Amino acid sequence: MNVPKPAAGMLPNDRLAYSAIPTRRPLKLPKGARMAVWTVTNVEDWDPTQTMPRTVLTPPAGGSPMPDIPNWCWHEYGNRVGFWRLLQVYDEFKIPGVMNINGVAVEAYPDIVKACVERNWEFVGHGYTQRNMQKVANERADMRKSAEVLEKATGKRPRGWLGPGLTETWETPDILAEEGYDYVADWVLDDQPVWLKTRGRPILNIPYTQECNDVAMMLIQHHKANEFYERAMDQFEQIHKDAKGSGRVMAISVHPYIMGAPHRVKYFRKIFEKIRKKRDVLFWTGSQIADWYSKVGPKPV
Amino acid sequence: MGGPMIPKERADYSAIVDRRPLRLPGGARIVFWTIVNYEVWDIGKPMARQLLPAPTGVPLMPDVVHWGFHEYGMRVGCWRFHELFRRLGVQPTLAANARICEDYARVAAAARDDGWEFMGHAYEQGPIHKETDQAGMINRTMDIMEKFCGKRPVGWLGPGLTQTLETPDLLAAAGVKYIGDWVYDDEPTVIRTTHGPLVTLPYTIECNDIPVMIIQHHNSDYLLQLVKDQFDRLYAESEKRAKFCALAIHPYISGQPHRIKYLEAIYDYVNGHEGVLHWNGAQILEWYQPIAQQQMKAAE
Repeated sequence: MNVPKPAAGMLPNDRLAYSAIPTRRPLKLPKGARMAVWTVTNVEDWDPTQTMPRTVLTPPAGGSPMPDIPNWCWHEYGNRVGFWRLLQVYDEFKIPGVMNINGVAVEAYPDIVKACVERNWEFVGHGYTQRNMQKVANERADMRKSAEVLEKATGKRPRGWLGPGLTETWETPDILAEEGYDYVADWVLDDQPVWLKTRGRPILNIPYTQECNDVAMMLIQHHKANEFYERAMDQFEQIHKDAKGSGRVMAISVHPYIMGAPHRVKYFRKIFEKIRKKRDVLFWTGSQIADWYSKVGPKPV
Repeated sequence: MGGPMIPKERADYSAIVDRRPLRLPGGARIVFWTIVNYEVWDIGKPMARQLLPAPTGVPLMPDVVHWGFHEYGMRVGCWRFHELFRRLGVQPTLAANARICEDYARVAAAARDDGWEFMGHAYEQGPIHKETDQAGMINRTMDIMEKFCGKRPVGWLGPGLTQTLETPDLLAAAGVKYIGDWVYDDEPTVIRTTHGPLVTLPYTIECNDIPVMIIQHHNSDYLLQLVKDQFDRLYAESEKRAKFCALAIHPYISGQPHRIKYLEAIYDYVNGHEGVLHWNGAQILEWYQPIAQQQMKAAE
């Protein structure tokens, strides 16, 4: 198939060559661990003057009314109440937190940022607003502004990036590398990190998840709340088994307005109750995974 | 900025962990708030929800199938609710289109005579954004209910919880004291309007048979599981601060023969716990209003 080259940026296969996981040199995790789990919490700010990114209740006879107060409130609940339930779980099981956060949310929810800073969480850039990166007027300015807001609020520049809804343009990895980001998580194509070529220095992609993700399971596929636990455990057991001989990474991704609802949070907690005790599993942040792979993994081509 | 307030201008962000706990009277821990929703689906308009899309998927008018789907609730399903709530001595909130007082006087009278709380819920079912005279519709709704019940409702729920930015101002002007449209907290809150403060009560679009059964297409028994999970968590948290567990039901959904037993089982489960109050919205408001006034004074 002849695919026209984009005017700026690269096609995926120009950034990384196909590679089959069993043919790679084994990766060793420290202390004889088989796998690393990173848990990502996504905090967003939904602008009440825009169409809501997701809805739980459609209006009578359909359509998308503006404003959409019920669905704005449904999301806001996560930041007023739900987040604090997730935090209890992370505290109970001593899980190092990773916060994917919109730049505007850093300003809108200082209490959440403060609680995470106190716990030394890693903050990951997640767009200045919750908007498709293809619709952002200036991608570079958005990434830069996101980093600046995070640096101001947390004292540290973010090293990682996840696009809102994992959206990218053809050029996203190039600009991220130029803007000083060390890793990205938008490329959900492997159980191990991979290097992506850019027009400048390479950028690392670390395994994120659209499957063990509450947006997909609860909002799109409409599963019962316990499916989040069931699927996470199935995913965990298989990756643990596969990781015999070479380290792998598992991601879990949640949103306070979804898994922080009273009727769902126990299924989230149960995952850690089960897996936190495993001695051969590391609970890491994205940066820890990136640093490990940069050290022990193959060097970028 | 001109024009009506956006949500964040009506209420500041507030983290629940930063607030002083609310306490219920008599050592009670949690309020179970039941909201029954009665609607009028006008055959001359598109039906509010659809179970069976027409062949080829194109919405057709008239939509007799879904008119009938809803009508079943008013003819049959709602009487299953009455039987349940009479047996339990529960007087739920009735979020009803005012037109039920005209089109279904038999049903409205039964709710009134059983002591249910009437809550304004528009004149008929349809998004409030399409109202040409919203203030007029709100007043008409409140007036019809006041005339029918002998007292003006204190609560309001938008149809499908819909609001425009000015709705809270219009509601406060019409004498509404609380709304259920803001499902953004576990506790009552106070929001700003051009006609003074308005209370929000923690209604629910999670424990609600429309999203769970009609939008998400879960099995009938899942509403029971979901409410149990919701209640368990809130009940555990209610050791430290008052909690509210709302449940919203519709006679054409939960009043179906294959679903009613799961609704009944919800109440069996909840009533197996100590310290549960079955309050309607007016009762929650009566308890909360003096607390809200104190808080507002303290904030001045």
